[in-house]
Amino acid sequence: MSHTVPPVVSVVPSRALVDETFKVAVQNLPPGSPVTLHSLHLSEDKDFWEAFGHYISDHRGTVSLAEDFSFGGTYTGKEAMGLLWSMRPVPGSREGLRLRKMNVCSPLLVNISVYSGHVEEGFREQAPLASALTERWYMSPGVRRMEVREKGVRGTLFLPPGPGPFPGLLDIWGGGGGLLEYRSALLASHGYVSLALEYFSAGELKSAEIEFNYFETAFNIVSEHPQVIPDRVGIFGLSLGSIVTNYLAAESSVIKPRCCVCISGIHVYPRGATLKGFYRALVSNTHKMRVDENNHEIWRDMVLPIPDDLSQKLDVGKINCPMLLVNGRDDQNWPTVECAEDMAKMMRAAGKEHLLTRIEYLDAGHLIEPPYSPHFRATKFIKDSTKEKAILLWGGQTKPHSDAQEDSWNKILAFLQQHLYSSQTLKAKAKM
Amino acid sequence: MVPCIGVHRNLACLVRAMGGVRWKSSLRPAPLLTATPVRALIDEQISIKGRFLPPQCPVTVCAQMHSDDGDLWEAFAHYNTNADGTVNLTRDHSVGGSYFGCEPMGLFWGLQPAPGSREGLRLRKKNVETPYVMLMSLLEGHVSPSERQSTELAAITTERWYMAPGVRRIEIRQDGVVGTLFLPPGPGPFPAMLDLWGMGGGLVEYRSALFASRGYASFSLTYLGHKDLPGPQTCINVGDSYFKSAYHILQDHRQVCADRIGIIGLSFGAYLSLRIATQAAVKPSCVISINGPVGSTIKVDADGRSKSFESYQKHMVYDDQGHVSFKSMSLPANIIPETKVKIEHIACPLMYIVGEDDKSASSMENANLIEESLRDAGKSQLFTLLSYPGAGHLIEPPYTPNSRLSLWSFKPKKLFTLWGGHPAPHAAAQEDSWKKILDFMESHLTR
Repeated sequence: MSHTVPPVVSVVPSRALVDETFKVAVQNLPPGSPVTLHSLHLSEDKDFWEAFGHYISDHRGTVSLAEDFSFGGTYTGKEAMGLLWSMRPVPGSREGLRLRKMNVCSPLLVNISVYSGHVEEGFREQAPLASALTERWYMSPGVRRMEVREKGVRGTLFLPPGPGPFPGLLDIWGGGGGLLEYRSALLASHGYVSLALEYFSAGELKSAEIEFNYFETAFNIVSEHPQVIPDRVGIFGLSLGSIVTNYLAAESSVIKPRCCVCISGIHVYPRGATLKGFYRALVSNTHKMRVDENNHEIWRDMVLPIPDDLSQKLDVGKINCPMLLVNGRDDQNWPTVECAEDMAKMMRAAGKEHLLTRIEYLDAGHLIEPPYSPHFRATKFIKDSTKEKAILLWGGQTKPHSDAQEDSWNKILAFLQQHLYSSQTLKAKAKM
Repeated sequence: MVPCIGVHRNLACLVRAMGGVRWKSSLRPAPLLTATPVRALIDEQISIKGRFLPPQCPVTVCAQMHSDDGDLWEAFAHYNTNADGTVNLTRDHSVGGSYFGCEPMGLFWGLQPAPGSREGLRLRKKNVETPYVMLMSLLEGHVSPSERQSTELAAITTERWYMAPGVRRIEIRQDGVVGTLFLPPGPGPFPAMLDLWGMGGGLVEYRSALFASRGYASFSLTYLGHKDLPGPQTCINVGDSYFKSAYHILQDHRQVCADRIGIIGLSFGAYLSLRIATQAAVKPSCVISINGPVGSTIKVDADGRSKSFESYQKHMVYDDQGHVSFKSMSLPANIIPETKVKIEHIACPLMYIVGEDDKSASSMENANLIEESLRDAGKSQLFTLLSYPGAGHLIEPPYTPNSRLSLWSFKPKKLFTLWGGHPAPHAAAQEDSWKKILDFMESHLTR
């Protein structure tokens, strides 16, 4: 028998939801040999993304990402999921790319390969020793996707399988605009009816006539759905969506969210203004915009200093439901941590501090997304005022940002389950 | 208006009081059913849990799916939730239904045709490129699946696959050989298996698909009952040279390690696996034979082709319901001597698997014969015997249901054949033997 059994790389499970972990292992290597584990993904935009780690096999010729250390590559240390969260566009790619799945009905396909030696580049020019294919899904089987065009509201509703009734969520994204379905698909896979909302197309914020009753109508589309428990509907916002969430929680007399999750949000907002008005106020501060050494735009100072004038801030003291605020301390787009501090002060003054849970992550940036998705420190953004594409600095360092994504997602799911699934009544909570 | 009802009212009582109308209120949480993973390979365990149920309450977990032929298969089990309102199939005990006790995968191996189904069904996946889609439901009370509509609390969908992502399926029609090759993803070369089935005939792909999902190139071969084979479909019209050609197709494939090929066979396929391995023409690295004889009661020519199946009629035994057992056909005493393999010529490790309740083959007797022959030849060290009490003839990949009998032919009238095997012990045999088969392959094909 020949002694050259080729190595085998295994990924278990081979089909998983995007927030599930996997175990990557290689066997049949020569003992003590340096190898590179490599991941490759072709995005819907036809860009290649990759990650890699440098390993050494043990005396049995095995490498296990759950147990072994990477000594180089796009990540180091003991990182079972490093091949996913440390992905970046391959050398030679266009600038400022962001990896976002638009078609949630198909999986993300990731090729995992093992190469001989500690390879730094040129992966596609050499043959791997072995490879495997893994599927990463935003949607569980049985989740139903339904386009919503109702009462002027545009979005996509995701329903878990089963008779229900289910708790619900209104899922609001940020100033980039468009319709992003992936978080809602994932939330439905966890048992929530979730409406991914579109409130303006990319680059149209300035001209979009958005009044807050658009969001109230959207909320009610969820709460009035026959398969939704009407008083167990929450709101989930990111960035501009978090402002909307804070606004609705504080000011709406029409809807009563059961709880809210706000990622990278602020409360600085001229009271009574439309989103267009908010945007006008923000843009009037462009003189405070800075750029970094790469000419990437830093917007956080445009919101500072946080005004003392209460008419320039949302009246968060009026909030009556549990709020989970998730922010990154290296957020370069908005001063989310400073705002969270100020929100806490305002809520404390109104005797509502027990409703607030603040989670802040050192070295995490603005775009805190579901776990294991790559980190983007700066990406292209369509600027409203000139319709030109700029590159915005979101902030965050890859490893701490990825840890923040993983940790915050667990905490978010636990928070939602506590308030929307469990039968326990509201209790006073200590600030984290 | 919904009258005010105390929070501690039992869920089942509540729904009866309301006349079946769901009581939507913030006081009643929605129950949640989860399965992890939701997309699994057939041989992977799925962990099923129910949460946010009332404590110490009777519930039923139920699984339903359609076979490739459109038949409905179902399984169910009765549990009582524990004090924290959860049910967990990896921890809790079923007190009724398709299985008893703690059986995390009972809803899968316990599947049976739904009431009113055609007789004598056997669950076999024809199209391995699609998954089995299974609806798992959590029902209120201790009920049967027919009551699902009125008692369903929660439901999820799971997919169970024979093929991992990246596995390639290649139809082979070459040198007169008819089969399907499954290759794992990647450049290879891969250790390989030749995969053989029984006298039911046709081309059975699912075990090969699973081997490829586990890193082996695997070639499912047909030798009977396939339109692309020569001659009448009721006879075996191919002989030793056919199997040798098939082995060579595998060996010559650029993505197969030529010197790391094993053979696995069930039933008559087990006989063929021994015949191929002892014919000197090829040198497999290991052989796995399941519930098969060392010889045949069918007259075959020198090349191993059968003339007809008349000769085995005399060995067919009927029970009092008219079901046929082929068991005595493979009794060593009834085997035609010229067909008997010279087991002492085997030159590689052999694993023989016996279902002790096998009603279709005299597996135990043949196992003993093989063991004796190898001992006499001083080759005991090559032999591994796995013997499973309560298991039947059809020892297949795990977490799939066993059929104690199934439809064998329908002309001149419907004839059912007995396979044997009782549900729980047969399931345990499939689970245990699959692990041991994969370990055996790893030992002899990858080291």
